[in-house]
Amino acid sequence: MMAEPALIKIQMVGRLQHRDLVLRSVAAACKLVNARPDNARPDNVWADFRTQVVTAVGEAFNNVVLHSYEGQDEGIVEIEIQTRPDHISIELRDWGASFDPESVPLPDFESLPESGFGIYIIKTLMEIQYKAGRPNVLTLSKSLNGSATQHDTVDGDL
Amino acid sequence: MTFTVSTPNAGVVRLAIEGELDAVTVPDLRKEIDRLTSTSPKRVEIDLSSLRMVDSSGVGAIVSIYKRVRGQGGEVVVSGLRDQPLAIFRLLRLDRVMLGADLPAPAVNAQRNSE
Repeated sequence: MMAEPALIKIQMVGRLQHRDLVLRSVAAACKLVNARPDNARPDNVWADFRTQVVTAVGEAFNNVVLHSYEGQDEGIVEIEIQTRPDHISIELRDWGASFDPESVPLPDFESLPESGFGIYIIKTLMEIQYKAGRPNVLTLSKSLNGSATQHDTVDGDL
Repeated sequence: MTFTVSTPNAGVVRLAIEGELDAVTVPDLRKEIDRLTSTSPKRVEIDLSSLRMVDSSGVGAIVSIYKRVRGQGGEVVVSGLRDQPLAIFRLLRLDRVMLGADLPAPAVNAQRNSE
């Protein structure tokens, strides 16, 4: 069955306790992305797609709660998920501190860092756009075609 | 996330982590890491065969164990990584450092830049 385009909006207080709710919603929305109605696509392609999207959104949500809203307990997060038969995009809006994703350095892998992986993971798994302001808007998007971005190699040989 | 700690031999600690290790659950593990490393074990075996999902904070906690135990002159062996956690360890280039001989073959469904 060809999935219809869908729009899902969630609004909540940005707390880590809500991470599971967000990721379950995103995982469920991935079921609305299914480009091949004839099931010709191997299941692992779709499963990898869902895993990569959920992983990236998890990092993005962590960043909002731990960095944008650092020290705050009542910051609002809005999440808007849009699906098409072959594509998903997720917007995260917050009204906390802004940042510049382009200025975040690559992790220094040789030194075995214990943090600073989040943006790298997000950028590797999905396309990313960021607009600082009120609200800050982070948009993550990905196509279900195996070549959504030039970085799309989570299972590849890095 | 749940974890179990056992000491099969003197100086050897076995830590098995199950479920989802992420920003929500990692504080619980951090307390155990403090306790575990305070005994300066000779060898820590981290079994991740039942770890279903990990995020960057969870990876940070594993790296923390690795660095602290190695810093005390001990040895760390990570085993059982699969699926999403394995992909993340590979992405962060920790597989070669931590997995050694336990490393599974690369996934056959790898998505290449050139495709």
